[in-house]
This record gives sequence, C-alpha cells and structure tokens, in this order.
Amino acid sequence: MAFCTGCSLLCDDIEVDFEGEKVKRTLNLCRKGRAHYDSLVVDRLAPTVGGSPATIDEAISKAAEILAGAKKPLLFGWGNSTLAAQGAGIKLAKKLGSVIDDPSSYSQGVITEKVLAGELPTCTFDDVRNYADVSIYWGDDPSSSHPRHLSRFSYFPRGEKRQRGYEEDREAIVIDVRKSPTAQIAADGFFAIPPAGDAEFAEALMATLGGKIPKVGDKKKMLNLGTKLRKAKFGVIFTGLGLTHSMGGDLGPFLSLVGKLNELSRFSVIPTLSDYNTRGFNQTLFDETGHVNSVSFGGGVNHGPEFGIAKYLDSCDAVMVVGSDPAAVLPATLAKKLAEVPMVAVNSHRTLTTDGAKVTIPVGVAGLEVGGSALRSDGVKVEFDAVVESDYLPDVEVIERIMEAV
Amino acid sequence: MAGKKEVTVVTYRGIFQEVEEAQGMYSDGYRDQSALLYLDGNDAKGLGIEDGKPVLLENDSGKVAVVAKVSEEKHPGVAFMPASPWSAQLLSGEVGEGGLLELKRFKANVSSAEVAVVTSIEEIKERIGAA
Repeated sequence: MAFCTGCSLLCDDIEVDFEGEKVKRTLNLCRKGRAHYDSLVVDRLAPTVGGSPATIDEAISKAAEILAGAKKPLLFGWGNSTLAAQGAGIKLAKKLGSVIDDPSSYSQGVITEKVLAGELPTCTFDDVRNYADVSIYWGDDPSSSHPRHLSRFSYFPRGEKRQRGYEEDREAIVIDVRKSPTAQIAADGFFAIPPAGDAEFAEALMATLGGKIPKVGDKKKMLNLGTKLRKAKFGVIFTGLGLTHSMGGDLGPFLSLVGKLNELSRFSVIPTLSDYNTRGFNQTLFDETGHVNSVSFGGGVNHGPEFGIAKYLDSCDAVMVVGSDPAAVLPATLAKKLAEVPMVAVNSHRTLTTDGAKVTIPVGVAGLEVGGSALRSDGVKVEFDAVVESDYLPDVEVIERIMEAV
Repeated sequence: MAGKKEVTVVTYRGIFQEVEEAQGMYSDGYRDQSALLYLDGNDAKGLGIEDGKPVLLENDSGKVAVVAKVSEEKHPGVAFMPASPWSAQLLSGEVGEGGLLELKRFKANVSSAEVAVVTSIEEIKERIGAA
C-alpha cells in the first residue's frame, strides 16, 4: 500500500502502478490525490542561483551564504515537509538565532495551539469513525479540501459503534456562509450564517443549550439543533479557516460553546489542516517551545505576532521558504515584500514563491519519491516509503546540508 | 442597469481549483478555476452582468478582472471567490489582534469589465515582483 500526501488525511490505502514516470493506474485515490500523484511530472523545480541554472551543491552553498550573512533571517513554511525536515529546520533556526514560522500564523494555529495545550478536547479520526454520532463542520468544507474525510471517517463509514453509518447513526451539521459541497451533503443540517457571523451563532447556540430562545437564525431549527447536540453521545467539531478568520483570533465564544457542550455531552475538536504535515510542524515546535508558530530563537525563545510572517517581513533581511507558497496566498503588499528580501526557496515544484527566489533548491515529493514520516491533522503519526525511484534529494538532507554550511 | 456595486467577497477553496493547482500554477486550468466570482442573481442582473462574462473587481488594495458566475443560491451583497493569487490582490494586508491576517473576506466594487481579458498570472507575478 502507498500513502497520499495530497492533504492532511494522509490516506494509507492507496494502490498505484506507474508506467515510466507517469501514473498508469490507481485505487482509492480521490480526485485531489490523483492530481497530486500526476504532478510528479509537472512543473518541477530546478536548482538555480540568481535566476540561472546551478548545481544542487552550488544552490545549497549559496543558500547557506545568504542565511549566514543575514542578521534577521526568517525560516518559513514546513507544512509540506517531513517530520525529520521540520526537526532539522528548528535546529537550523536555533543555530542561526532566527525566526521560524508557518502558515498556521495566519490560519488555524490559534485552534491547534489550544488542542495541543489540552485546552480544547480532541480525539483521533479512528475514534470519529468508530464512535462519532454528530459531526459539525464549522467554516470547513472537507468535501473539497479533504475529499475522503466524510467517506473514511466522519459521516459515511460504518464504525464499531456506528454500524448504520450516515443512514441512521450519524448527523452532519454544517455552519458556513456558503452552501459548500459539504453543506449540500448535510442538507437540512446546513446552517447558513452571514460573513463574520460565527461568534453570534456560537452565542445563539449557547443560549439554546441553556434553554433560552436564540436571537438569530430559524428559532425552531436552532432549538432542534440544541436538542441534537444535547443528546449526542460522541460529537466532533471540525474547524476550518472560516471559523478562525471570522472570529479574528478571538475564540472566546467558540471556547465557551465547546465548554458548554462538554458539560452536557462529549465533544472533541479537530482542526482541518491543509498541508499534509502542518500538525507535525505545530506539534514539533510546540514540544520544543510551547508555541506552534511565530517563534524567535534570537536570545532564547521568544514568541508573539511580531514573529509571524505578516509582521516580520517588515524587518527580516533574508527568508528561506520550505514547502510552501506564501506569495500565492498573502496579500499582494506582503507578497511584494517577500520578493524584495533575498529568498531561498526549497520545494518540489515551481510556484509563485520560487519564481521570486534568489536561490531555488528542488526536493523529492514526500511519500511518493522520498520516504519519511508525518502527523495527520488528528495527531496520529504515519511513516511512509517512496513508491517511485527518484534522483531528488529528501527535504531533510537539504536542510541538514544547509545547516552544516552556515 | 450597468454600474458598480460594493460587495463583501468571501474566499474559499474548491476541489477543482486544487486539482488544477497540482497541474501547475501557470496552467490555463488553474486560472479558469481561480479567476472566478460567484454573484447573487439579482446583484448580477442589477449590474448587467451575465454568467461567464468578465467583471472588474477593485478596491483600495488592487484590481483584477475575473469571470462572473451567477449563483443558483441567493446571497445578496455577498460574493464568493476561490482563494488564489487573484483574490490576494484585493486583500488589505492589515494584521488584526492576535496577528491574524484577514485572508477570508474583503469588500470590493464589482462592475462589468470593459475589456474582455481576465488578469493573467504573469501580470500578477510582475505586480508582486516575482518576475
């Protein structure tokens, strides 16, 4: 069996046959996973220095020179890196006394940190498959982002205590501003909210659970939802970017709601993380520093929003981006700042970010061309081997060689 | 009646966009699945915008031309757009409390595009200095 590193479900039941470099036949891959496998022969990154072709050795040497010569380097990315590469990246940040950060500083880090700190109860996907009777997708559309989420774990499957699956044993609730593909599956379980209406919805649901009439939404539907949640035996809330961004980092109403639900029943929280090993980076950095992102190793361990990429781009003088494409998602003003700083990009593929880099270093695609390990977004560790021969270096080797050279 | 209207744009990730992204950010498929704006039916009608036609989306942060799609669902005053380099051109870059960037939502004026050319990824690349 092969693994798929196309998203943070890290599906482990994949069968694949290759014909030369191209995929010939697959079994169990979703549409997104198949595209991930097919991408092995599309737009691969080549080693460059100053926009000109270079050898891997030259690119690594120049990368080390840029980072060693910087006073305030930033090491960013890591969600598409193996656990070994993430660990090496944190060691490199310590050696350089630099800042290290990942996209969770502008996405779901605020939720993940509370899960890792034990402030939000959590469980595994296997628990969800076996026991969950209520799945809430909040600002989250896994049918698009993690296509096998509902079929492997959270809605359709028959689990140990859920033998009748979605037909009788499971409820799907979707809270979103848009009737997403997941909301269409939930049908009557879809609760449409206005943009930035998440806090108000959480407060209304709290009122409902407390026996009061909610002030927003369809009152009858809200009261029915309250009854379902009170009767739930094993509930799970899957959070998406829609929730964290709507609340602007202040999770107060959401935390209060989760607390209330756990007075009445049992509810866990699992953030739906996009890159295949975001949880791995967050966990590894948390174990080391007590924080999931935005950490400076300059003069001990310091943490704060000033060390997140959004603010640190104002003052850093070199950047290394590993396995991430911030230029494609950050506001244009920040993407421009990123391109103005001497940048090293380590990636398997060409991206907007790599096109703005002074040095590019290609690596193999984890789980397909190189082996390694990672954490699913529920925290379960998986180890994978390469399934196709490749000359690309593993990401950990590139980071370790840069570390030796700085 | 043509003109312009301010809408709240909410971004999202769609599976077809993710599939095309894996085939390369510079592919026509990625552009076709990213440079889109889903408008409420009445909003589109009021602006004289037809499904499949280009629209201009602009605010203080920037402007892009993308393809309009008319939603079957009603969502007056709200539009939906795949999160991508196109939507990123309209984000403010403001950092709120807790250091969280606003990446999911912005206000912009939408109008029928005079020139039927969708903003290219190469143009965006030049704007952000990645060329």
